[in-house]
Amino acid sequence: MDYALLAATALGAIGLFLMLPRDRMPLVRLGMLLGGMAVIGFFLYLLRSVGESHLAAATGGGVPIPFYLFGFIMIAGAVGVVCQPKPVYAALYFVLITLAGAGMFVLLLAQFMAIVLIIIYAGAILVTYVFVIMLASQGSTGGQVTAPDYDRKASEPFFSVLIAFLLIGTTLQVLFPSDGKVIATPSGHPDQLMAMNIGEVAVPTTAPAADQYVSAAHPPTDIQVLGINLYSQYALSLELAGILLTIALVGAVVISRKGEPKTHILGSGTLPTE
Amino acid sequence: MSQIELYHYLAVGAILFGIGLVGFMTRRNLIMMFLCTEIMFQGVALNLIAFSRFHMNPAGQSFVIFLLSIAASEAALALGLVVLLFRRRETLNADEWSEMQG
Repeated sequence: MDYALLAATALGAIGLFLMLPRDRMPLVRLGMLLGGMAVIGFFLYLLRSVGESHLAAATGGGVPIPFYLFGFIMIAGAVGVVCQPKPVYAALYFVLITLAGAGMFVLLLAQFMAIVLIIIYAGAILVTYVFVIMLASQGSTGGQVTAPDYDRKASEPFFSVLIAFLLIGTTLQVLFPSDGKVIATPSGHPDQLMAMNIGEVAVPTTAPAADQYVSAAHPPTDIQVLGINLYSQYALSLELAGILLTIALVGAVVISRKGEPKTHILGSGTLPTE
Repeated sequence: MSQIELYHYLAVGAILFGIGLVGFMTRRNLIMMFLCTEIMFQGVALNLIAFSRFHMNPAGQSFVIFLLSIAASEAALALGLVVLLFRRRETLNADEWSEMQG
């Protein structure tokens, strides 16, 4: 049992509870203060508990400021999404989470995934959300300026925060045991990131020699490693993902079209009448 | 010297997942509930990328590609359903549809 961690978790829970939207919100600033203190205290705890690592050469040691910056932005953005009564602003906070998450991915040497995250999440999914939010809110507010009642009042805030922070608290207690024995981190040289796994996959002999692009002199980039992994080990899963996306596309069109009950589909059969 | 370890990323991912869970349980707006599940997706994606980097295994990044395609499918279908439900009752309140609990 680590009491410092427990205190930070409880502080964060109280802060989030005070920040959740409700009828009268007299203590939002206090909640922001408590939540910010909890996150900063947690980061100080992380800073204190860090150990020696074989990967120390990767970032040159020192206080890794980008990690804490991106982590703080991600957590603050998540709290913003949860506590913002207006859905459009909440979607903008979610863009903040996505951008900080992409920064985290760059820190983890997954540059390609960072770009993919921005393109797919911020570029495609969030635009869909904002589109639907605007479509739905222009009718429901009907001229009234304030958000509707179900957006201004959180339902069951106490039990939700209790359950979620019990989950967070137990997870953190497992991640940071009080005896100081943290989960061992595998070691490896960062320049040859994941290159050791590339030799295990069978490269088709008909392909142009893979050694031409990947050798000890030219360590593979993350896109090469990911591509070989994706198209050899998970080729079938990739096909299934493509089929799933196609089905979802067709399904979304069928679900959301304005259905006259007697519309013919492909000239045969009719939609079931209600 | 201080150094970022695997469990630091796991901790941030767990916190994101928990905050998204709070949002999913407290918000009654259908769109906001799905947006909060996207926060939980982000926490999981961060975990997978961190595992991929610290265990030197590209499978984690492959899983994130699948996670993104699932998230995109889910967003398309869920928002289609939300538009359908909104057309019927002109509200986004999830409690209005509580008779659908089965």
